[in-house]
Amino acid sequence: MPESHVPPLLAVDGLHVSYGRKEVVRDVGFRLDRGGSLALIGESGSGKSTIAKAVLRLLQPSEASVTGSVRLDGKEVLAVPERQFRPLRGRQLGFIPQDPGSALNPVRTIGAQAHEAAALTGERDPGARRRMILEALEQVGLPDPVRVFDSYPHQLSGGMLQRVLIALTVLPRPSLIVADEPTSALDVTVQKLILDLLGDLRKELDIGLLLITHDLAIAAERTETLVVLKDGAVQEQGPSAQVFAAPRTDYARELQADVPALNPGRYRSQRLDVALKEPRDVPQEFPQESATADRPVQVSVTGITKRFQTRGKEVRAVDGVSFAVERGRTHALVGESGSGKTTAVRLLLGLEQPDSGTIAVGGQSTAGLSRAGIRDVRRHLQLVYQNPFISLDPTWRVGRIVREPLDRFGVGTTADRADQVRDALQSVGLPADVVDRRPGQLSGGQRQRVAIARALVVRPDVVVLDEPTSALDVTVQAGILELLARLQRELGLAYVFVSHDLALVRQVADTVSVLRSGQVVEQGTVDQVFDQPRHPYTRALLDAIPGTTGLQSPTGTAPDIQETPKLAEASL
Amino acid sequence: MSSGYGRFALARAGQAAVVVLLAYVLTFLVISVLPGDAITNSLRDPQSGLSEADIQRIVSYYGLDQPVLVQLALSLGRFLTGELGFSLQSNLAVSQIVGDALPSTLTLASTALFIAVAFAVAIAYGAHYAPPRWAGILRCIPSFFLSVPNFVIGLVLIELFAFRLHSFTTTDPNSATATLFAAVTLAIPVSAPLAEVLIAGLDHESRQEYALVARSRGLTGAQLFARHLVKPSALPSVAMIALIVGELLGGSVITETIFGRDGIGTVVQKAVTGEDQPVLQAVVSLSAVVFVAVNLAADLLTPLLDPRVNVREAANA
Repeated sequence: MPESHVPPLLAVDGLHVSYGRKEVVRDVGFRLDRGGSLALIGESGSGKSTIAKAVLRLLQPSEASVTGSVRLDGKEVLAVPERQFRPLRGRQLGFIPQDPGSALNPVRTIGAQAHEAAALTGERDPGARRRMILEALEQVGLPDPVRVFDSYPHQLSGGMLQRVLIALTVLPRPSLIVADEPTSALDVTVQKLILDLLGDLRKELDIGLLLITHDLAIAAERTETLVVLKDGAVQEQGPSAQVFAAPRTDYARELQADVPALNPGRYRSQRLDVALKEPRDVPQEFPQESATADRPVQVSVTGITKRFQTRGKEVRAVDGVSFAVERGRTHALVGESGSGKTTAVRLLLGLEQPDSGTIAVGGQSTAGLSRAGIRDVRRHLQLVYQNPFISLDPTWRVGRIVREPLDRFGVGTTADRADQVRDALQSVGLPADVVDRRPGQLSGGQRQRVAIARALVVRPDVVVLDEPTSALDVTVQAGILELLARLQRELGLAYVFVSHDLALVRQVADTVSVLRSGQVVEQGTVDQVFDQPRHPYTRALLDAIPGTTGLQSPTGTAPDIQETPKLAEASL
Repeated sequence: MSSGYGRFALARAGQAAVVVLLAYVLTFLVISVLPGDAITNSLRDPQSGLSEADIQRIVSYYGLDQPVLVQLALSLGRFLTGELGFSLQSNLAVSQIVGDALPSTLTLASTALFIAVAFAVAIAYGAHYAPPRWAGILRCIPSFFLSVPNFVIGLVLIELFAFRLHSFTTTDPNSATATLFAAVTLAIPVSAPLAEVLIAGLDHESRQEYALVARSRGLTGAQLFARHLVKPSALPSVAMIALIVGELLGGSVITETIFGRDGIGTVVQKAVTGEDQPVLQAVVSLSAVVFVAVNLAADLLTPLLDPRVNVREAANA
């Protein structure tokens, strides 16, 4: 319906944006009808956030030049002076930002900032504004609006803050909301609640939604129209169901194949130790499965507990957690923030001592070991940290970063170390010349490969992967996961995989422990836990995976894209 | 919060008191360790015109015939009860000498502080909201301010405003206009680091997502500055201002000399050249008290301004 006499709510045509000489958005155009929803989807660097900011006119003229046409209700808004555009801000055009933790002024109360939004309604009486704000806070499901009103941002959780931001955005009743990755900083169950809330409010108040996301599953599930972007240009656009089920372009197909929820079996074949020929689809008993000579238990954690004192109260961050990981296998620790998974990892790495329980690595208990002893154990236990953008020293060259553990443990001669660094970099698929580069010159995926090489260079038996792909794009994530699967097969590594993303866990893990408030609520093989979850919390987590409700995996329509060539090989 | 804050304030005040005591002891010991007995030297100076009986009185007052530690205990005890002793040069009470000089220095320092803060805010605001060309120039001003020596500014101001434009006369250094120009002289170099902290704070805060979100709510540049950016970007400058106050009180010697004012700076200068130990000891200790008090005030203020500061953790730090 491009040319009806009612103009669309938002019409973007021939939009170009350049930062200096670099063109980041090229000839982008799309339409969004009143009350409709549209998702701009793409990876980082695809220009999706820039388009959002261009529509909202939030790009500084000094840093970005914007040309083309953006019409709101048929009125051109790109060329008008700021003075004429400002009345539309907030009133017509709402904005929900990516990270709720940084989207509110940290030194002002929620209430003080909410008054700014309430002022947009034209209401002058402060008492009436306050009532409106409290009503809006209640409308978004915040239990104690008065307390929230008086709080500072750091006193609320991420989910609560995002609700606050949604409340402030819908308060002046805009006709269009631009939401830039509104849930990517939130836990999966919170993400579902926030998206549900946004959907309900939209329907109730007839608000159009422009959703910016990197997550194809969310986009397809939550919006009517999809616009797939790559390198600042539109690859494909159309009704969500159509683009999702039958993508026409290669890029859209690639994106779809990389959504973990749609392809649970993707890395199985690559991880499968072919020599052992274990029929993995047969549910295995857990954790009674006995260790064999081929499969010694590399990590064994028994009943560990860690208590913390906060504000006079005792909190059990980890409470009687047990699990075991065999050689060549992956055990996943799954849970939301505050579930205790980070503390469990810190205990495992020996960064903190458990109050009770034992941890054994390679059959050797870490309890009562001297500092040197723990250091020795740690050599067999390496960590890949979640965010490669901050875990690598930006002033060091890659060669030194990767060599550091060898230096620390005093392994071999200088020449040996150089060889080992080169081998490690080669094994993670990086060219030899990265040795002389610094992290700032590498992409996110390359950086995480450096972090993996750094972990592997001391030939560990166990690698702890703490959300290793959560800071990466979905296609980059796929590459890293393939690499990890190959390394596991080749080197017989045992992985402890920490994640909040269940869809991902299903792809990469053999066994899983679901953590909640420091306790294991469910444990078993991935197939057991995912196919027959027993605990309601596990079910809630599974339900919250985007792409599992509403739209189903289009298995019947395009089976070929899910099968990687290696899968075909292994199934012979 | 309130009981936590009380404990935090108490702990900080205790630390401050310890710092003042240590400063006193250190000053005393440094002066004692210096070769030559300063007090005896000046007493024995034939020009001092003191009789043997006077000298004996002073020697026994300061316990000069006793070990250094006893002298320290005596002196510290008097300091704690507010007794600062007598000048060796003029025989006046030290408290009187300091008391006479203090109002002039306080007037100068407070005027200078006010001007420095005003300069810094104006430069920082301009550096952010002026058209790019002007903003660029404004950003260079702090380093320019820092690189021009204090006395050059003072001399230029005197030459220009006193001798050419006759805005004030150097013969009446305590007049309001003369004080104002002296304060400007003192304020210009100290406003520079403050302006730089503010500019850096504004740069940082205006890049935060909340600034973007506030702009999407239709706030104008000035509203954004006043409601959102000023407070968080000014937080680091609270500590900065505390340092500046110390600098203004202690570093006014040159300005006072150029403008012919009789303030603490002059007192210090005379005490140093005349080896007037009691005066020196008193002034250094008082500077320590002021410095510590102002920094204590900044420490106590920060948690009230910044809700993110956890006073429990800060009290244990």
